[in-house]
Amino acid sequence: MAMIEKGVPPSRFGRAVARRSGTGTRISRSDLVDESLSAVLARPMRAALTALGTVLGIATLVVTIGIAATAGNRIVGRFDELTATAVSITPETTRASPDDPPLIGWDAPERITRLNGAVAAVALAESQPGQTPPVQANDIKDPSAVTARTLGVVAATVDLPATVHGRVVAGRFYDAGNVARRDRVAVLGEEAARLLGVTRLEDGPAVFIGGEPFTVVGVIGDLKREQALAASVIVPPTAAADRLGMRQVTRVVVDTRLGAAQLIARQAPTALAPGHTDGLRVLAPPNLERARGAVEDDVNGMFLVLGLLCLVVGAVGIANVTLVGVMQRIGEIGLRRALGASRRHIAAQFLVESAVLGLLGGVVGATAGMVTVVGVCVAKDWTPVLDLGLVFAAPLAGVAVGLLAGAYPAWRAARLEPLEALRAT
Amino acid sequence: MTALIEFTDVGRMFEADPPVHALRGVTLRIDRGEYVAVTGPSGSGKSTLLGLLGLLDRPTSGTYRFAGAETTTLAERDRAALRAGSFGFVFQAFHLLPYRSTEENVMLAEVYRPKGRPAPPRRGRRERALAALERVGLGHRAGFRPDRLSGGERQRVAIARALLGDPDLLLCDEPTGNLDGENTQVVLDVLEELNGQGLTLLVITHDEAVAERAGRRIRIADGRVVAGGPEPVDNPSPVDHQFAGDRPQWP
Repeated sequence: MAMIEKGVPPSRFGRAVARRSGTGTRISRSDLVDESLSAVLARPMRAALTALGTVLGIATLVVTIGIAATAGNRIVGRFDELTATAVSITPETTRASPDDPPLIGWDAPERITRLNGAVAAVALAESQPGQTPPVQANDIKDPSAVTARTLGVVAATVDLPATVHGRVVAGRFYDAGNVARRDRVAVLGEEAARLLGVTRLEDGPAVFIGGEPFTVVGVIGDLKREQALAASVIVPPTAAADRLGMRQVTRVVVDTRLGAAQLIARQAPTALAPGHTDGLRVLAPPNLERARGAVEDDVNGMFLVLGLLCLVVGAVGIANVTLVGVMQRIGEIGLRRALGASRRHIAAQFLVESAVLGLLGGVVGATAGMVTVVGVCVAKDWTPVLDLGLVFAAPLAGVAVGLLAGAYPAWRAARLEPLEALRAT
Repeated sequence: MTALIEFTDVGRMFEADPPVHALRGVTLRIDRGEYVAVTGPSGSGKSTLLGLLGLLDRPTSGTYRFAGAETTTLAERDRAALRAGSFGFVFQAFHLLPYRSTEENVMLAEVYRPKGRPAPPRRGRRERALAALERVGLGHRAGFRPDRLSGGERQRVAIARALLGDPDLLLCDEPTGNLDGENTQVVLDVLEELNGQGLTLLVITHDEAVAERAGRRIRIADGRVVAGGPEPVDNPSPVDHQFAGDRPQWP
């Protein structure tokens, strides 16, 4: 039975009431998606070609942003190894009297490594310039040769190789036992060993530091940090205090986890000298975030324009094909109107169709872009940096492109008069 | 018999220079259960009449009451609701979606439903579509694409689609216009059978042989009803009522 709910008064007021009371037809959301999807999937080849522009645009965008982020990270990566994870703490040299207890004790490494984010730490006592004891390889007085070298002499705790990322190239580094027994042993930096003519350790060569003999137990090289140590003679703090009068820690070097440097820089003074933090000077790397931001902004600005240009091309592609689709499907539009579809339903269908195409392009483009970024990184031996936000934003951008591109065709489709549309074809 | 369609002095004028009067002063009454054929030469206003009857178009003058309610003042969305709920359409060009199977084409009729009425559940839609196909004798063609069907079969799919909404009125625009003689007979048989089941039918055709099958024939020429209007006679006969004037005199 045909039912018209009420006798509609023939007035504008009557229409307004009808509009407000939620009359008309409706289409369920799942039906709308079904109708649009099956229209898109009905011609898979055409859908693929239509989405191609968006695929290229999104892929370009993902690749450019991905490569920019990776390259930016690489630049930051160099900072990371050298400075971004290094913190050093120096006590102010002006002590009221030499009898005062030192601000930093030789237990500094233990105090520091208790902090979360600290990987290793070493306490150093460096000889003051001008007061460096002469270092000789042997006791023979050869007037024709200058055998006494002015090499740096450094007292260091046993954590030195780990902290400076050094490699013991020969022999071994002295251990806690050597320190506890106050052994007179020494480790030479690679350069110092060459200068002193120490090439073999098998026969226990000795070096004379300020006239005191020390047995060379190892040679350390490949220093990633504190390269000055390569030309130094490194001795345990106990022997240095006994024989060379180097009692006070002059510097603490900390190796931190990436990103923890700022935190360690804040906490280390309290850990080392609670109550006397003013007497310590901390050297920390510049803020990492800022360095990264500055690098990426330059690169991204340029690449983004390129990617957006590609997206515009993709949008024009979708708009063009959707418009052609509207013209080819005029009969279908008329039929849908006859079946009860409103103008809004017709517009919604074409919008969803172009959004699906955009989504398709976005997903495929994002995937292709990420594969490309990873491929480039593999080829260049970089670490790929893929922003998760980008991975999810790319398909959304595709949908936005589709909706934008579908707006005009959808409006054209909705504007068609059903009777004329039905007569077409 | 209760009136389903009441046209009173309906006109449709198209803005042009000079204005085109596609229909003028049409007064018609079609009762429930009737089988009416509208004939006339091309350009006589048949298709315009179908558009007005099916609420696909609005008259520029006169009134159109459908099932007792005035439609000319309805908002567009309410007219859409009426189309979805009360009309079934069958077109000369079939208007089947080429990339969907027969039952999916039929199922399309349930996609747009009037608000305010309980919509048939989505589950079971396929079964209802298959039942509609069965009703037009096409149960064995379920799952076929339209391009695998003969013209007559395609038109019967379109009829099944029109039946799915359980309409009050089936409007057919040249339903046999694209069919050969044999297929025409099959489609007309189906229509006749449906009318026998109580469905109100209005068929627009230029083919007199098709019009013969209807219970009443309305003839229009030059935008006016020249025969068969304005209302059914108590004992409809296939004899063409020929009257001299535009407005036939009823005893």
